[in-house]
Amino acid sequence: MNETSEKRQIAWVIDLNKCIGCQTCSVACKVLWTREESEKAQWWCSVNTLPGKGTPKDWEGMGGGFDDAMAPKTGHQPTLADFGGGFDFNHEEVFFGGSAGKVHLEPQAPREGRWAMNWDEDQGAGEWPNSYYFYMPRMCNHCSKPACAQACPSGAMYKNDDGLVVRDEDICSGSRFCMEACPYKKIYFNYERHVGQHCIGCFPRIEKGVAPACVRQCPGRAIFTGWLSEDGPVKDLVMKHKVALPLHGEYGTSPNVYYIPPLSPHPLNEDMSINAEKARIPPEELEALFGPEVHDALATMQSEMDKVRDGGSSELMKTLIAYKWQELLGPFTADPADIIATG
Amino acid sequence: MKVDRMDNEAADLKDPASAVWSGLTAENITLAPVPLAAQPTEYIRVSRADLPYGETADASATAVGSGDQLYVRLEWQDDERPNGEFADAAAVILGSGDNIATLGSDDIPVKLWYWAEDREGALNLSSRGPGVVRKNPGASISAAASLDDNRWAVVLSGPAKEVSDSQMGVAIWNGSNDERAGLAAVSGWLSLDMEAS
Repeated sequence: MNETSEKRQIAWVIDLNKCIGCQTCSVACKVLWTREESEKAQWWCSVNTLPGKGTPKDWEGMGGGFDDAMAPKTGHQPTLADFGGGFDFNHEEVFFGGSAGKVHLEPQAPREGRWAMNWDEDQGAGEWPNSYYFYMPRMCNHCSKPACAQACPSGAMYKNDDGLVVRDEDICSGSRFCMEACPYKKIYFNYERHVGQHCIGCFPRIEKGVAPACVRQCPGRAIFTGWLSEDGPVKDLVMKHKVALPLHGEYGTSPNVYYIPPLSPHPLNEDMSINAEKARIPPEELEALFGPEVHDALATMQSEMDKVRDGGSSELMKTLIAYKWQELLGPFTADPADIIATG
Repeated sequence: MKVDRMDNEAADLKDPASAVWSGLTAENITLAPVPLAAQPTEYIRVSRADLPYGETADASATAVGSGDQLYVRLEWQDDERPNGEFADAAAVILGSGDNIATLGSDDIPVKLWYWAEDREGALNLSSRGPGVVRKNPGASISAAASLDDNRWAVVLSGPAKEVSDSQMGVAIWNGSNDERAGLAAVSGWLSLDMEAS
């Protein structure tokens, strides 16, 4: 495949200032795509609390992607335990066991070493009164230089005409080199069907003009989608305002999911006075996620917010507020209820 | 390699632990890793440059023709490490080109009768290089396996016509070493003497 795709490219912009960690995107994806056998642990879209270990656990230390010379970097294949295998719960005991009030709903797995998607929810970091955290939805980045597809020996993975990284499951041999090579660790393995699986960008919806489920269902109006090269909020936020940044761009894969970094309130001094010189979320932690460009992005956001506070107008703020819900959907505004299923 | 004929033993031949097999002479086979340079993607070549694979150096094979079926019993010693994400696997390789060391090539594929510990039955695959496989729409292949004292015995069987004009080889993947796709140990070709009885 080509090193970089010259086809049109769909992209996402996720505003971390508006994400409330409700997991509606995760569940919208889950009920649509991963309800079959061996898919219990698959969360193609997942929201984690940052700072945190994420999903799979400690994924940022698992390698993959490319070095500065675009040579592949060896990666670790996340295991089912790294993702958290998905739990069975004691529903029978709680609801029908006659022990109401005494038995609590609890995963039926050894307490030691338990892990799952969003396991460290709201733990965050920092000491009271300056503790902090924010939420980060993650899905396949549908990279322009997909390390997964380049690692695949059978040629099962490719960029489709819309720039989505997709997989021919009839060709996938289950070798899982894609899972090693993906630096974002957003590829799962179906142990029943012996194939890799990952977010497909809701391509059957895209082809019908319907936005991906994660975008359309987000109650916080936090996720934008659209063509990266066509006029609209996605292009504006990434290229014009430069406030939407890729996660770990240093991984070298040119991801197409962008994030508006989170602003944060000022921390409090020991005497409970406000330290107006600092932000509660340490900027160096955001730089580790989004690169040095994060400082300019945050400054732009703050400046535009201040402008509005002072009674002015800001095109950027209007875009991010998304007064009209359909503005989030880019060209994919069709209502799925209007689509007639065929085949 | 001699292919014995046993036309009344089909049921027993499918069982790798059957006494039918113990009376036959097995051919000892030496295997070697698929060359690193032949691995199909840069990622695999880079990531496996310092990680040995294709660790199974020795195996044995016995072949029997019965009716229109060919039965091949493979046996090899597994290592003692537990498997992690990947399963032990083996394949009978059928082909005629000078490309068994790379599990076929783009212009001349080989057939794999493929068995893996974590799958039901067997797959009939076409292989055009290490890990470059497609499912063959052709004949259905069967497999049965037993593990005794860390020693695998696997019988793969399929239509004898699949092997006409073919030579046979063997590939083995050691699951505990995360071997899969082109990360395999492969034998050289063995000529099948189908006329033997």
